[in-house]
Amino acid sequence: MEIDWIFSLQSKEDRVEKWKIEGKEFDSRLMIGSALYPSPEIMEKSIINSGSQIVTLALRRQSATNLKDGNQFWDIIKNLNVTVLPNTAGCHTAKEAITTALMAREIFEVDWVKLEVIGNQYNLQPDPFALIEATKILIDEGFRVLPYMTDDLVLAQRLADLGCTTLMPWGSPIGTGRGLMNPYNLRTIREQFPNLNLIVDAGIGKPSDAIEAMELGFDGVLLNSAVALAQEPILMAEAFKHAIYAGRLSFEAGAMQTRDMASPSTPTVGTPFWHQFS
Amino acid sequence: MRISINAEIKEFDKEFLTIQELLEIINYGEGIAIALNETFILKTKYQETTIKDGDRLDILSPVQGG
Repeated sequence: MEIDWIFSLQSKEDRVEKWKIEGKEFDSRLMIGSALYPSPEIMEKSIINSGSQIVTLALRRQSATNLKDGNQFWDIIKNLNVTVLPNTAGCHTAKEAITTALMAREIFEVDWVKLEVIGNQYNLQPDPFALIEATKILIDEGFRVLPYMTDDLVLAQRLADLGCTTLMPWGSPIGTGRGLMNPYNLRTIREQFPNLNLIVDAGIGKPSDAIEAMELGFDGVLLNSAVALAQEPILMAEAFKHAIYAGRLSFEAGAMQTRDMASPSTPTVGTPFWHQFS
Repeated sequence: MRISINAEIKEFDKEFLTIQELLEIINYGEGIAIALNETFILKTKYQETTIKDGDRLDILSPVQGG
Protein backbone atom coordinates (compact mmCIF):
# COMPACT_ATOMS: atom_id res chain seq x y z
CA MET A 1 0.00 0.00 0.00
CA GLU A 2 2.75 2.38 1.01
CA ILE A 3 4.72 1.50 -2.14
CA ASP A 4 1.70 2.31 -4.31
CA TRP A 5 1.51 5.67 -2.65
CA ILE A 6 5.18 6.37 -3.37
CA PHE A 7 4.77 5.36 -7.00
CA SER A 8 1.75 7.58 -7.35
CA LEU A 9 3.81 10.50 -6.03
CA GLN A 10 6.57 9.79 -8.53
CA SER A 11 4.18 9.70 -11.44
CA LYS A 12 2.48 12.94 -10.54
CA GLU A 13 4.37 14.91 -13.19
CA ASP A 14 1.47 14.53 -15.58
CA ARG A 15 -1.06 15.69 -12.98
CA VAL A 16 -0.10 19.29 -13.52
CA GLU A 17 -0.98 20.57 -16.94
CA LYS A 18 1.78 21.68 -19.24
CA TRP A 19 2.66 25.32 -18.85
CA LYS A 20 1.78 27.42 -21.86
CA ILE A 21 3.71 30.63 -22.16
CA GLU A 22 4.15 32.89 -25.18
CA GLY A 23 3.04 30.21 -27.60
CA LYS A 24 5.29 27.49 -26.15
CA GLU A 25 4.62 24.54 -23.85
CA PHE A 26 6.79 23.37 -20.99
CA ASP A 27 6.65 20.77 -18.23
CA SER A 28 8.71 22.81 -15.79
CA ARG A 29 7.65 26.18 -14.45
CA LEU A 30 11.18 27.08 -13.46
CA MET A 31 13.23 29.46 -15.55
CA ILE A 32 16.87 29.35 -14.60
CA GLY A 33 19.76 31.70 -15.17
CA SER A 34 23.16 30.64 -16.46
CA ALA A 35 25.39 33.07 -14.54
CA LEU A 36 27.55 32.99 -11.41
CA TYR A 37 28.14 29.23 -11.21
CA PRO A 38 31.50 28.08 -9.86
CA SER A 39 32.29 26.37 -13.18
CA PRO A 40 30.72 25.61 -16.58
CA GLU A 41 30.37 21.97 -15.52
CA ILE A 42 28.43 22.90 -12.38
CA MET A 43 26.26 25.23 -14.44
CA GLU A 44 25.46 22.44 -16.87
CA LYS A 45 24.64 19.89 -14.16
CA SER A 46 22.62 22.43 -12.19
CA ILE A 47 20.49 23.29 -15.20
CA ILE A 48 19.90 19.60 -15.89
CA ASN A 49 19.04 18.87 -12.25
CA SER A 50 16.68 21.82 -12.04
CA GLY A 51 14.47 20.28 -14.70
CA SER A 52 14.15 23.75 -16.21
CA GLN A 53 13.51 23.93 -19.92
CA ILE A 54 14.04 27.68 -20.19
CA VAL A 55 17.49 29.16 -19.61
CA THR A 56 18.28 32.84 -19.54
CA LEU A 57 21.47 34.25 -20.97
CA ALA A 58 22.89 37.55 -22.12
CA LEU A 59 25.01 39.25 -24.76
CA ARG A 60 28.31 40.97 -24.10
CA ARG A 61 31.32 42.27 -25.93
CA GLN A 62 34.00 39.65 -26.31
CA SER A 63 37.34 39.84 -28.03
CA ALA A 64 38.14 37.89 -31.16
CA THR A 65 40.88 36.14 -29.17
CA ASN A 66 38.34 34.87 -26.67
CA LEU A 67 36.18 33.49 -29.43
CA LYS A 68 38.88 32.07 -31.68
CA ASP A 69 38.22 28.54 -30.42
CA GLY A 70 34.46 29.00 -30.34
CA ASN A 71 32.19 29.95 -27.48
CA GLN A 72 32.37 27.19 -24.88
CA PHE A 73 29.49 28.58 -22.83
CA TRP A 74 27.18 28.83 -25.82
CA ASP A 75 28.14 25.33 -26.95
CA ILE A 76 27.13 23.91 -23.55
CA ILE A 77 23.78 25.66 -23.62
CA LYS A 78 23.06 24.52 -27.18
CA ASN A 79 23.78 20.93 -26.22
CA LEU A 80 21.30 21.06 -23.35
CA ASN A 81 18.40 21.29 -25.79
CA VAL A 82 16.65 23.96 -23.78
CA THR A 83 14.77 27.03 -24.91
CA VAL A 84 16.85 30.13 -24.41
CA LEU A 85 15.45 33.38 -23.11
CA PRO A 86 17.84 36.25 -23.83
CA ASN A 87 17.87 39.18 -21.46
CA THR A 88 18.84 42.80 -21.83
CA ALA A 89 20.68 42.90 -18.51
CA GLY A 90 22.92 45.87 -17.96
CA CYS A 91 20.91 48.21 -20.17
CA HIS A 92 20.08 51.58 -18.65
CA THR A 93 18.10 53.17 -21.47
CA ALA A 94 15.29 52.04 -23.72
CA LYS A 95 17.55 52.47 -26.75
CA GLU A 96 20.24 50.19 -25.32
CA ALA A 97 17.66 47.58 -24.43
CA ILE A 98 16.04 47.71 -27.86
CA THR A 99 19.38 47.36 -29.67
CA THR A 100 20.38 44.46 -27.41
CA ALA A 101 17.04 42.73 -27.99
CA LEU A 102 17.42 43.05 -31.76
CA MET A 103 20.92 41.61 -31.58
CA ALA A 104 19.72 38.75 -29.36
CA ARG A 105 16.93 37.90 -31.76
CA GLU A 106 19.43 37.52 -34.59
CA ILE A 107 21.84 35.32 -32.64
CA PHE A 108 19.35 33.12 -30.78
CA GLU A 109 16.60 33.08 -33.40
CA VAL A 110 13.88 33.54 -30.80
CA ASP A 111 11.21 36.20 -30.76
CA TRP A 112 10.99 36.63 -27.01
CA VAL A 113 13.11 38.68 -24.68
CA LYS A 114 13.39 39.25 -20.97
CA LEU A 115 13.33 43.02 -21.07
CA GLU A 116 15.44 44.57 -18.37
CA VAL A 117 16.12 48.30 -18.14
CA ILE A 118 17.86 49.26 -14.93
CA GLY A 119 16.86 52.55 -13.34
CA ASN A 120 18.92 52.53 -10.16
CA GLN A 121 22.38 51.21 -9.67
CA TYR A 122 22.01 50.54 -5.93
CA ASN A 123 19.14 48.10 -6.02
CA LEU A 124 19.10 47.47 -9.79
CA GLN A 125 15.46 48.49 -9.76
CA PRO A 126 13.84 48.40 -13.20
CA ASP A 127 13.06 51.79 -14.71
CA PRO A 128 9.29 51.71 -15.30
CA PHE A 129 9.29 54.60 -17.78
CA ALA A 130 12.07 53.21 -19.96
CA LEU A 131 10.44 49.79 -19.69
CA ILE A 132 7.21 51.13 -21.15
CA GLU A 133 9.07 52.95 -23.92
CA ALA A 134 11.13 49.90 -24.90
CA THR A 135 8.18 47.50 -24.64
CA LYS A 136 6.10 49.54 -27.05
CA ILE A 137 8.83 49.62 -29.69
CA LEU A 138 9.79 45.97 -29.31
CA ILE A 139 6.19 44.79 -29.60
CA ASP A 140 5.91 46.87 -32.78
CA GLU A 141 9.07 45.08 -33.96
CA GLY A 142 7.33 41.73 -33.49
CA PHE A 143 8.81 40.73 -30.14
CA ARG A 144 7.13 38.89 -27.32
CA VAL A 145 8.24 41.01 -24.42
CA LEU A 146 8.64 39.59 -20.92
CA PRO A 147 9.29 42.68 -18.84
CA TYR A 148 11.28 42.49 -15.61
CA MET A 149 9.39 44.99 -13.48
CA THR A 150 8.72 46.23 -10.00
CA ASP A 151 5.62 44.86 -8.27
CA ASP A 152 3.57 47.89 -9.28
CA LEU A 153 -0.06 47.37 -10.18
CA VAL A 154 -0.35 50.41 -12.46
CA LEU A 155 2.83 49.50 -14.31
CA ALA A 156 1.43 46.00 -14.78
CA GLN A 157 -1.70 47.52 -16.29
CA ARG A 158 0.28 49.73 -18.67
CA LEU A 159 2.41 46.81 -19.83
CA ALA A 160 -0.65 44.62 -20.32
CA ASP A 161 -2.30 47.45 -22.29
CA LEU A 162 0.72 47.47 -24.61
CA GLY A 163 0.18 43.78 -25.31
CA CYS A 164 2.41 41.95 -22.85
CA THR A 165 0.93 38.58 -21.96
CA THR A 166 3.67 37.74 -19.47
CA LEU A 167 4.81 39.97 -16.62
CA MET A 168 7.81 39.37 -14.39
CA PRO A 169 7.62 41.40 -11.18
CA TRP A 170 10.51 41.16 -8.77
CA GLY A 171 10.33 39.32 -5.49
CA SER A 172 13.15 41.52 -4.20
CA PRO A 173 16.20 43.12 -5.83
CA ILE A 174 18.41 40.98 -8.07
CA GLY A 175 20.87 38.81 -6.21
CA THR A 176 19.68 39.71 -2.71
CA GLY A 177 17.99 36.40 -1.92
CA ARG A 178 15.51 38.21 0.30
CA GLY A 179 12.50 36.33 -1.00
CA LEU A 180 9.15 38.01 -1.56
CA MET A 181 9.40 41.48 -0.04
CA ASN A 182 5.82 42.40 -0.67
CA PRO A 183 3.45 39.44 -1.01
CA TYR A 184 0.47 41.83 -0.89
CA ASN A 185 1.57 43.57 -4.10
CA LEU A 186 2.25 40.27 -5.84
CA ARG A 187 -1.08 38.82 -4.73
CA THR A 188 -2.88 41.94 -5.96
CA ILE A 189 -1.24 41.73 -9.38
CA ARG A 190 -2.21 38.05 -9.53
CA GLU A 191 -5.82 38.83 -8.65
CA GLN A 192 -6.08 41.73 -11.08
CA PHE A 193 -4.55 39.86 -14.03
CA PRO A 194 -5.85 36.31 -13.82
CA ASN A 195 -5.21 35.62 -17.50
CA LEU A 196 -1.62 36.79 -17.79
CA ASN A 197 1.40 34.61 -17.21
CA LEU A 198 3.01 35.95 -14.05
CA ILE A 199 6.53 35.03 -13.06
CA VAL A 200 8.40 36.10 -9.96
CA ASP A 201 11.77 37.16 -11.27
CA ALA A 202 14.66 38.04 -8.96
CA GLY A 203 15.15 37.97 -5.23
CA ILE A 204 14.35 34.32 -4.64
CA GLY A 205 16.79 32.95 -2.07
CA LYS A 206 15.41 29.64 -0.88
CA PRO A 207 13.08 26.96 -2.22
CA SER A 208 10.51 28.08 0.36
CA ASP A 209 10.45 31.51 -1.36
CA ALA A 210 9.66 29.79 -4.64
CA ILE A 211 6.90 27.77 -3.00
CA GLU A 212 5.41 30.97 -1.60
CA ALA A 213 5.40 32.53 -5.08
CA MET A 214 3.76 29.49 -6.59
CA GLU A 215 1.19 29.29 -3.81
CA LEU A 216 0.25 32.90 -4.55
CA GLY A 217 -0.79 31.58 -7.93
CA PHE A 218 2.20 32.74 -9.92
CA ASP A 219 2.73 30.74 -13.06
CA GLY A 220 6.46 30.39 -12.75
CA VAL A 221 9.66 31.51 -11.10
CA LEU A 222 12.85 32.83 -12.64
CA LEU A 223 15.97 32.57 -10.52
CA ASN A 224 19.71 32.32 -10.81
CA SER A 225 21.74 33.34 -7.75
CA ALA A 226 19.74 31.11 -5.41
CA VAL A 227 21.11 28.07 -7.21
CA ALA A 228 24.44 29.35 -8.49
CA LEU A 229 25.53 30.77 -5.13
CA ALA A 230 24.28 27.87 -3.01
CA GLN A 231 26.89 25.78 -1.22
CA GLU A 232 25.95 22.90 -3.51
CA PRO A 233 24.38 24.37 -6.65
CA ILE A 234 23.55 21.04 -8.27
CA LEU A 235 21.68 19.88 -5.17
CA MET A 236 19.94 23.22 -4.75
CA ALA A 237 18.80 23.10 -8.36
CA GLU A 238 17.02 19.87 -7.59
CA ALA A 239 15.52 21.38 -4.43
CA PHE A 240 14.03 24.18 -6.53
CA LYS A 241 12.69 21.72 -9.06
CA HIS A 242 10.67 20.00 -6.35
CA ALA A 243 9.73 23.25 -4.60
CA ILE A 244 8.21 24.78 -7.68
CA TYR A 245 6.36 21.61 -8.49
CA ALA A 246 5.09 21.34 -4.90
CA GLY A 247 4.07 24.99 -4.90
CA ARG A 248 2.10 24.57 -8.09
CA LEU A 249 0.38 21.43 -6.79
CA SER A 250 -0.45 23.26 -3.58
CA PHE A 251 -1.97 26.15 -5.52
CA GLU A 252 -4.04 23.82 -7.66
CA ALA A 253 -5.11 21.83 -4.60
CA GLY A 254 -6.18 24.98 -2.73
CA ALA A 255 -4.99 25.46 0.82
CA MET A 256 -7.43 25.32 3.75
CA GLN A 257 -8.66 28.52 5.32
CA THR A 258 -6.70 29.65 8.33
CA ARG A 259 -8.64 29.87 11.61
CA ASP A 260 -8.06 31.58 14.91
CA MET A 261 -9.65 28.88 17.02
CA ALA A 262 -8.15 25.44 17.32
CA SER A 263 -10.16 22.59 15.94
CA PRO A 264 -9.27 18.97 16.73
CA SER A 265 -8.31 16.87 13.76
CA THR A 266 -8.83 13.61 15.61
CA PRO A 267 -12.52 12.63 15.94
CA THR A 268 -14.03 13.51 19.31
CA VAL A 269 -16.74 10.86 19.06
CA GLY A 270 -15.66 7.80 21.02
CA THR A 271 -13.19 9.68 23.17
CA PRO A 272 -11.89 7.25 25.85
CA PHE A 273 -13.58 7.08 29.22
CA TRP A 274 -11.07 9.18 31.17
CA HIS A 275 -12.26 12.35 29.42
CA GLN A 276 -15.75 11.80 30.71
CA PHE A 277 -14.64 12.76 34.23
CA SER A 278 -12.51 15.78 33.34
CA MET B 1 41.08 54.71 -40.64
CA ARG B 2 40.77 54.33 -36.88
CA ILE B 3 37.68 52.71 -35.50
CA SER B 4 36.56 51.45 -32.14
CA ILE B 5 35.81 47.76 -31.86
CA ASN B 6 34.34 46.81 -28.51
CA ALA B 7 35.85 49.99 -27.04
CA GLU B 8 39.34 49.23 -28.36
CA ILE B 9 40.84 51.52 -31.00
CA LYS B 10 42.01 49.64 -34.09
CA GLU B 11 43.76 51.00 -37.16
CA PHE B 12 43.29 49.79 -40.72
CA ASP B 13 45.16 50.96 -43.82
CA LYS B 14 41.96 51.47 -45.75
CA GLU B 15 39.65 54.43 -45.91
CA PHE B 16 36.50 52.32 -45.89
CA LEU B 17 35.60 48.71 -45.18
CA THR B 18 32.33 46.89 -45.30
CA ILE B 19 31.40 44.99 -42.15
CA GLN B 20 31.87 41.78 -44.11
CA GLU B 21 35.42 42.79 -45.09
CA LEU B 22 36.22 43.82 -41.53
CA LEU B 23 34.99 40.49 -40.12
CA GLU B 24 37.26 38.63 -42.52
CA ILE B 25 40.23 40.61 -41.22
CA ILE B 26 39.55 40.43 -37.49
CA ASN B 27 38.36 36.84 -37.66
CA TYR B 28 35.43 36.65 -35.29
CA GLY B 29 33.65 33.33 -35.23
CA GLU B 30 29.97 32.49 -35.54
CA GLY B 31 27.28 33.52 -33.10
CA ILE B 32 27.83 37.25 -33.08
CA ALA B 33 25.68 40.30 -33.66
CA ILE B 34 26.87 43.76 -34.53
CA ALA B 35 25.86 47.31 -33.71
CA LEU B 36 27.42 50.18 -35.65
CA ASN B 37 27.36 53.45 -33.74
CA GLU B 38 24.77 51.91 -31.41
CA THR B 39 22.48 50.86 -34.24
CA PHE B 40 21.89 47.16 -34.84
CA ILE B 41 22.97 45.92 -38.27
CA LEU B 42 21.28 42.85 -39.70
CA LYS B 43 23.61 40.09 -40.83
CA THR B 44 22.13 40.37 -44.31
CA LYS B 45 23.39 43.96 -44.49
CA TYR B 46 27.06 43.23 -43.67
CA GLN B 47 28.14 43.32 -47.31
CA GLU B 48 26.58 46.68 -48.00
CA THR B 49 27.25 48.47 -44.73
CA THR B 50 30.39 50.57 -44.80
CA ILE B 51 32.58 51.48 -41.84
CA LYS B 52 34.55 54.70 -41.88
CA ASP B 53 37.02 56.53 -39.70
CA GLY B 54 35.68 57.28 -36.22
CA ASP B 55 32.95 54.65 -36.28
CA ARG B 56 32.18 52.54 -33.23
CA LEU B 57 31.44 48.86 -33.55
CA ASP B 58 30.00 46.63 -30.85
CA ILE B 59 30.37 42.93 -31.53
CA LEU B 60 28.34 40.89 -29.04
CA SER B 61 28.14 37.18 -28.38
CA PRO B 62 26.35 34.94 -25.89
CA VAL B 63 27.46 34.97 -22.26
CA GLN B 64 26.01 33.80 -18.95
CA GLY B 65 23.01 35.76 -17.77
CA GLY B 66 20.23 35.70 -15.24
